[in-house]
Amino acid sequence: MSARGIWRCWAALMLLLALTTALAFVPLGSAQLGASLAIACVKALLVLFFFMELKGSNPLIRAFACAGFFWLLIMIALTSADYTHRTDQRVPVDEPG
Amino acid sequence: MTDEVLTFQYADAAQQRDAVTLGMWAFLATEVLFFGTLIAAYFNYRIWFGPEFIAAARMTKVLFGTINTGVLLTSSACMAMAVSGYEAGSRRAPVLWLIATALLGLAFIGIKGVEYWLEYQEHLVPALSFDLPRYGGVAEIFFLFYFCATGLHALHLLIGISLVIWLAIWIGTGRIDRESSTTRLIGLYWHFVDVVWIFLFPLIYLAGRSG
Amino acid sequence: MSAPAAESYLSARIGIRSWLLTTDHKRIALLYFASITFFFAVGGVAATLIRLNLIVPEGLLGSPDLYNRLFTMHGVIMVWFFLIPSIPTTMGNFIIPLMIGARDLAFPRLNLLSWYLYIAGGVITVTALLLGGVDTGWTFYEPYSTFYATGYIILTIFGIFVAGFSSILTGLNFIVTIHKLRAPGMTWYRLPVFVWSTYATSLILVLATPVLAMTLLMLLAERVLHVGIFSPQLGGDPLLFQHMFWFYSHPAVYIMILPSMGVISEIVPVFARKPLFGYEFVVWCSIAIAAIGFLVWGHHMFVAGQSLYASLAFSFLSYLVAVPSAIKVFNWTATLHEGWIRFDAPMLYAFGFIGLFTIGGLTGLFLAALPIDVHVTDTYFVVAHFHYIMVGGAVMGYFAGLHYWWPKITGRYYPEYWARFAAILAFFGFNVTFFPQFILGYLGMPRRYQAYPPEFQIWHVLSSAGASILAVGYALPLFYFTWSILKGDRAPANPWEATGLEWTIRSPPPPENFDRTPTVVRPPYQYDRGKPCLQVGND
Repeated sequence: MSARGIWRCWAALMLLLALTTALAFVPLGSAQLGASLAIACVKALLVLFFFMELKGSNPLIRAFACAGFFWLLIMIALTSADYTHRTDQRVPVDEPG
Repeated sequence: MTDEVLTFQYADAAQQRDAVTLGMWAFLATEVLFFGTLIAAYFNYRIWFGPEFIAAARMTKVLFGTINTGVLLTSSACMAMAVSGYEAGSRRAPVLWLIATALLGLAFIGIKGVEYWLEYQEHLVPALSFDLPRYGGVAEIFFLFYFCATGLHALHLLIGISLVIWLAIWIGTGRIDRESSTTRLIGLYWHFVDVVWIFLFPLIYLAGRSG
Repeated sequence: MSAPAAESYLSARIGIRSWLLTTDHKRIALLYFASITFFFAVGGVAATLIRLNLIVPEGLLGSPDLYNRLFTMHGVIMVWFFLIPSIPTTMGNFIIPLMIGARDLAFPRLNLLSWYLYIAGGVITVTALLLGGVDTGWTFYEPYSTFYATGYIILTIFGIFVAGFSSILTGLNFIVTIHKLRAPGMTWYRLPVFVWSTYATSLILVLATPVLAMTLLMLLAERVLHVGIFSPQLGGDPLLFQHMFWFYSHPAVYIMILPSMGVISEIVPVFARKPLFGYEFVVWCSIAIAAIGFLVWGHHMFVAGQSLYASLAFSFLSYLVAVPSAIKVFNWTATLHEGWIRFDAPMLYAFGFIGLFTIGGLTGLFLAALPIDVHVTDTYFVVAHFHYIMVGGAVMGYFAGLHYWWPKITGRYYPEYWARFAAILAFFGFNVTFFPQFILGYLGMPRRYQAYPPEFQIWHVLSSAGASILAVGYALPLFYFTWSILKGDRAPANPWEATGLEWTIRSPPPPENFDRTPTVVRPPYQYDRGKPCLQVGND
């Protein structure tokens, strides 16, 4: 990839970094996590596609690049399906016994 | 991974190049799940512990974290420059870019070290200096996650820095074959360590800042 | 195809260094054979002592603590140091490059490193277990493994952690090899099913093992630093450990069974002299099992306190994974239909596999059903179920493959009648050992107890008697295989008249496998009125 392309990508990453840091101090409530993760995903995709050259790679390499993230998503989705629906109460941790 | 020309099990250089590239990506897929397990634990505890967990995240040093993210992203750009210079056939440029990459990596470690030191003095390090009555048990779990995640990331980065320095020396002294995939593979590893940090950054430093 | 000198990979170089520093996939496979046999024996001794203890209601060995350490040792050794590496690292290592027409795996040095990591992990774990052992069970559940821990947990876990990297590297090596080193003409649909199922296994190894590594690392951190992550006493959630542990350990069951299914898919067509029925279904079912196998782990936690909604989802998904497994059983059975069936030893083991796996799979459905699972959780019903899968399935498949490829690996025949006798003995002994445990479990005998009420004794005695038959069945091959290496008749290149590429080269194979790269012209398992149509073309 060309030097120009690399530094353009870098500039985009820096802008996104500034954006996500600034957004963190804006009261967005429950949208906060979603917004910061969405920006993180865009940054990661920039690195994966341009720096790691997934853009010019064959489908097999792309499939393996996706596989890890996809399986991680499965783990997060199914474990959090449990945690968001737990009915039992958590024992307060600060008082021993 | 391999620094020599065609080994006997391959029919031609293209096949070898494809194979080592696929091997590297398969390895990175395992790394995604390795770090991902920690991140999944983080998400579930964030749901389970709720506000207490997020409040603990506010005690991290957002300025250090942001600067470090910038440093690491810049190092990745340098690494990309080194790889593209190497593939274009030049010898001097990639060495210089690799040195820049390694220096930025060391800068990241240095900043991280200062951060750890400050946290030690603020009694935020579990098992070493944690002030349990003041911060509470949930904060301790958050900081254990924080030290595990950033510590393992730093370990990966240290391995990356060693590889980059070794590579700079080998390219500089002309001991590496023109057809070799080594530069590209080390580049992939370096960028991956960067991707891990891209996700750790908002989870650790940006949680609960506006609350 | 035939080279002038009968040089083989065994005789090409001699001396201990030529073995310990070899990068030849065939020699590494033999290193694995030797070490895996050792660990199988260690795990077997622990199993024998367990069954010995349970002959009398009050426990023959007396101490409950010793009993806890015994079943932990049995589980840890059998799961991580026998079952998971068993078929992929031995027959996979040896046969996969031969089947696809390659000269070696993609990364031969990495392959050797895998073996050293496996040995290092094994030595560390066995040391820990011999120094005094661990009493948590192989699952290391919280808070047994942290708050109430008494044994050498740190060392044991570290050993498993190291062996995990061996698994990852092995899986990675197979994935790249199967993608990139296939001979010309060896398209995906011409691959033998064993290659497909090893590929599916490798995907699980690569995607699940790092989760175990990180989980164990968190456990180590908690144990060493005494800071809560999972332990409820320290504020953590023990269920999180179970989630993470089973995210690896349930797919790990498929790591054990998929390679066996691959072996059976090789053997059934050869000894029925017919193409495998529904080849595409069988291969895609392997991939489906690998994928769906990741979505079912919650059925280990139905009564552990996870949310009911999660349990319902996991129950449904667990039913789903039974579908591809059942399709495979039907395909093997349909392959037998109107075949010229030969009852050689590998085929007898394969029959054993199909029957026992079917029982194990069907009782798995009982356990996927929420209400029945509540009744039988942590009873001998579960013990019987997973032994039918892992011993009746995976180990039968291991022995089936070992007998099937033995002439290729060593260039010698084994005594056929002894082998058939051992196969039948193992099948018989297995059922006597484990079928009574279904009944025991259904009557309410909990697992992992060293003493029990006297009314259960009859079933326990039956089970222990069966175990001694099973032990003979497993020990017999050790003797006749040794005899075979020393005195067995020489085997030709293709003793079973099979169709795969591995049968076109000499037995034992030459060091570089193929004199020149073969060209593949047809799918596997093609027979013309009982005569094999080799996959390799004569160009």
